[in-house]
Amino acid sequence: MEESGSDPLPVVKPFFSRAGGKIFIIWLVMTIIGVLIGAYAPHHLLPTLLSTEGTKVWETIVLFTILAAPVAAFVYAVGLYSLLGWRARGFGNSDEPPPDGPSLRGDAPMTAVWLGVSAVLVIVLLVWGLGEYNAAQTSHPDTLQVDVTGQQWLWTFSYPGAGNVETRSLVLPINRPVQFNVTSEDVTHGFWPAALGVQVDANPNVVTVIGSTPDKLGTFTVRCSQLCGLYHSFMYASGAVVTPQKFAAWLQTQGVPAPQAAQAADVKASTS
Amino acid sequence: MTTTDAPPMLLEDTPLGKGAGGLYRRQNALTGLVGGVFLGFIGWVVSHRLLQGSNWGSDMVVTVTMVGWVLGFNIGMGTFNAPIRWMLGHDQSYEDELYAAGVTQGKSRYWKFCTDHKVVGTQYLILVMVLFGVGGTLAMMMRTQLITPHSSFLSANSYNAIVSIHGMVMIIATIIMVTGPFTNFIMPIMIGAKDMAFPRLNAMSFWVVVSAVPPLLATFFLGGVDAGWTTYAPLSVQAPAAMDAFSMTMIVFVISVTISGINTIVTILTMRAKGMTLGRMPIFTWASMVGAALSVYAMPALLITFTAMITDRVTGTSFFVAAQGGTGWLWENAFWIFGHPEVYIILIPPVGAMLEVASTFARKPLFGYKVTIAAFTAVAGLSVMVWAHHMFTTGWAPDLAGPFMVTTELISIPTGIIFLCIIGTIWRGSIWTRLPMFFVYLFLWDFIIGGVTGIYLSDVPADNFFHGDMFVTAHFHYTLLGGAMIAAVAGLCYWFPKISGKMLNERIGKTAFWIIAIAIQITYFGQFWEGFQGMPRRVAFYDPIFLHANQMTTVGAYFLMLGFLVLLYCLIDGWRHGKPAPANPWHAKSLEWKVPTPVPLVNFLVDPVVTTDPYGYGEPEPDNLSTDFPDPDRELVPTLSSDRPVTGGEVL
Amino acid sequence: MTVTTTDHGEPQKDPQDDGRSIEAVAGHHESREQRHFKERIAVWLFIGGDLVFLLMELFYWFYLRALNTNGMWRGAECSKANPCTDGLGNAITGEITKANPAYTLTIAGLTVLAAFLIWRVEIVARAQAKRGVISGSAALALLVLLGAVVVQCIQFGKLPFTTIDGSYASSFLYFMGSTLGHLLLLTFLTFALWNRGRLGKYDGGHWYQVRLSRIFAVWIAISTCVLALVMVVFA
Repeated sequence: MEESGSDPLPVVKPFFSRAGGKIFIIWLVMTIIGVLIGAYAPHHLLPTLLSTEGTKVWETIVLFTILAAPVAAFVYAVGLYSLLGWRARGFGNSDEPPPDGPSLRGDAPMTAVWLGVSAVLVIVLLVWGLGEYNAAQTSHPDTLQVDVTGQQWLWTFSYPGAGNVETRSLVLPINRPVQFNVTSEDVTHGFWPAALGVQVDANPNVVTVIGSTPDKLGTFTVRCSQLCGLYHSFMYASGAVVTPQKFAAWLQTQGVPAPQAAQAADVKASTS
Repeated sequence: MTTTDAPPMLLEDTPLGKGAGGLYRRQNALTGLVGGVFLGFIGWVVSHRLLQGSNWGSDMVVTVTMVGWVLGFNIGMGTFNAPIRWMLGHDQSYEDELYAAGVTQGKSRYWKFCTDHKVVGTQYLILVMVLFGVGGTLAMMMRTQLITPHSSFLSANSYNAIVSIHGMVMIIATIIMVTGPFTNFIMPIMIGAKDMAFPRLNAMSFWVVVSAVPPLLATFFLGGVDAGWTTYAPLSVQAPAAMDAFSMTMIVFVISVTISGINTIVTILTMRAKGMTLGRMPIFTWASMVGAALSVYAMPALLITFTAMITDRVTGTSFFVAAQGGTGWLWENAFWIFGHPEVYIILIPPVGAMLEVASTFARKPLFGYKVTIAAFTAVAGLSVMVWAHHMFTTGWAPDLAGPFMVTTELISIPTGIIFLCIIGTIWRGSIWTRLPMFFVYLFLWDFIIGGVTGIYLSDVPADNFFHGDMFVTAHFHYTLLGGAMIAAVAGLCYWFPKISGKMLNERIGKTAFWIIAIAIQITYFGQFWEGFQGMPRRVAFYDPIFLHANQMTTVGAYFLMLGFLVLLYCLIDGWRHGKPAPANPWHAKSLEWKVPTPVPLVNFLVDPVVTTDPYGYGEPEPDNLSTDFPDPDRELVPTLSSDRPVTGGEVL
Repeated sequence: MTVTTTDHGEPQKDPQDDGRSIEAVAGHHESREQRHFKERIAVWLFIGGDLVFLLMELFYWFYLRALNTNGMWRGAECSKANPCTDGLGNAITGEITKANPAYTLTIAGLTVLAAFLIWRVEIVARAQAKRGVISGSAALALLVLLGAVVVQCIQFGKLPFTTIDGSYASSFLYFMGSTLGHLLLLTFLTFALWNRGRLGKYDGGHWYQVRLSRIFAVWIAISTCVLALVMVVFA
């Protein structure tokens, strides 16, 4: 029905008193919290990481959490605001429904944006992950070989470069790439030196391989990550990252003659 | 049809002759039990006699005993009556089939082979609750053990057995928690059908699942399965005879789920009401169909795996024994080819149910209906291509880690669309905060956490840290319990009035909700903490550095148990003393709310013709809505006099 | 959401059925064609599941063959390096003799023949042949199937290896067991076809169940041939 005179200008409420604005504020606060958690929490929750791979794991967790924070925050913000601003007051215990909401059956631009953003995020994650994975595959000429044998319910390590000495603890020299050649005597075990940021299963009759480069001094625990029977809980070994001199000294305590121990610890020595 | 005096006789009131039903008249769960024990005993004795010198608990003997149990139970239940009669040319008569549908039997039909989909749905609901009770009890035993680093509550062997059976009971329960009760009870009514496509197969699926459960529980008495629910070879090849019982459970279970999946797909494709095009189907129906299609793919894949396990253990084949040419990697691949689609079989139907709840309680149409269907399909399709992300650290094929990482991370795109759908549905809605809607919000919170942590695990270098530790456990509990199960609870609270005829007491329900919601966070953030610290999975004893995280988890678990007990109390109290429910308490628009409560045997006495989808909130009613369709609260069939009281059916 | 069509609530009986059943609740307003359509989709879905099973069997075979863990797919030939005795002088398994392909191919051939014969049952039923002709053709198919089952059982006894002789032996035996299982299922169906044909259930143009059995029989023949091919060619 026509009105005489001009229509008054539509009143546009300020952004932050509209639903979108309030959601934005909630989203911003939640994102900031998420980013802060992502930046600081992993460091405190993870064990001390002693290798470059371990550091990469930490970086990945931080990055993924920071990237996830705005996405999660958006979902949470809309959810929270729906209970604050769109909840039908007074109908919480009512048998009669509140009046219907608007008939919003879809929004092609929104869907496209959502798809686009998630696709971009996935590509970023993939580039990051594949890049890291491929970098981890390269081998170095001075890699220290360590043969790892799992059995029910203990780990044995042997160093081919030091006369195949068999030990019960895993001692490694710092700053030298290590390649673990892992196998099992019986069932499938999981060779898991968590502080080195790597693991690989120990399977019977095959040798699986994983590499790591320790870059910090410290001690760590090797645990079994694949349920292997009765005493799976007790299948662990102690490990340490030490200086090359300490490594040679330790090899000698395991029965390796001094000259051979020194050669095994020397980064320029050829590998087995 | 009559328009004056006698009210139309409902099908469920048809008087039947004395012989109607044949053998079914004498068969029920008790005869099933007797038959199973009898044939199992015969199998036990015969197989032992045939193997002179073998002990009574050997693999062959246990396997034959379990086969005897399953066959005997189902023979006693009457599962095979119809095919045998068909083979003999003595087909069931119409009266026999009415008897099989429960006519004239009252409450006893719940203990019998009953082809009425509503009865089967209710039977599944009870079974699911029993299974969750068993699985939950086992979980509490585990958490009690883990409250200190070196507890004497359980031995290492007991703990391993409990961890394995907890896992498998929960997997079985979560696979059937929505497809059992709701796809059976609600979905046919939702599409305007009178029953499922194959009602006898429907009843068969249920009783076959029931027969699969005792072997699983018998494992505790047969030495215990100590290899986790995933029972990796070669550890499981060496396990005690319990593993044969475990394998039988899985073989029988997957047969049941495959048949039920076929039934669901055929029902949805061929029995929709006139006018209900695929584009007007409720989203729950789509979700059920996608889940069923995945079942038909994934379940047969598991059949070969567990039969090969039995042959390895009983006859000495070497599929999984490395010294003789087998490999544990074959087990792992074959298992996860089933196992990953399986978690989407668990997830997709509850999400469909939850979307119905979201639409009804936001009083808005579903947002992005077509896009959501595409997302379900994409998730299901991709899920068959990601299985080796469970095997990143096995060393089986380092070159394939990249491709599987790609496919796994791609799944997050359609999963994200589902979140868009939920968000869009509640956007500017008129949120009616009744009990079912609470669980929708909890799903949102939990599944974001579960989904995001899954992305961490899909990154191979990060998985090299996290695989096999409690981070993985926390991730899948957030998605399966916090996500799928909570969505199923939303569906349960939503459809409870239709199934039971009573309303839930919302105060008790909301109390349960808050306890559960907070307890989930405490429990599973505790497990994330354990995982970050480097605590392996499936350990009964742990390094004291993990003490605080475990204490947090155990405390949370006890509260979670409390919350579920309050929920159980709410359900039982509602079922027995709840307010009688109107036919459409939620003023929803899908077809299941247009029939009276309790639902007549044939669901619809007047065939509906559908002209729109059930999401017309905020839209004007269609002009051609006839006034002929009966008001489900007042009358079952239109008659000239409208003051006749509701007749027929019975309150459960 | 709905508009109504009034309908009478009485159960409908197909006048042609005279005692044959109609599903009590689900189908009692369905036409015969609708029911047939449902049953056909169900058979195809079942075949789909069985196809997945077949593909997994092939995965098992080819994966174990490719990996050849510990050289024990078929074992290693006896040679100076591998003298086929253990440290105590006891004979141990050398290379496994391949199974005789004659049995495998015979079984596959008989299954194909049985499927062809079941197709013939369908043809005569569709042509509304006399009861004896229908059941006679089904009896022929049943005999051929029983023959296949017998040959399969004989093959179990005549193998040059047992289950413990490596992963080729394991896979071969598994394929035989799977074939036997599927044959027994088909035998059950064919027995029912013969018996029901004999009782006149397929007279007068009620041939649809025969058609469904034929679809399934053809699938069994195909899958048996695929397995047989792999067993013979890729030993």
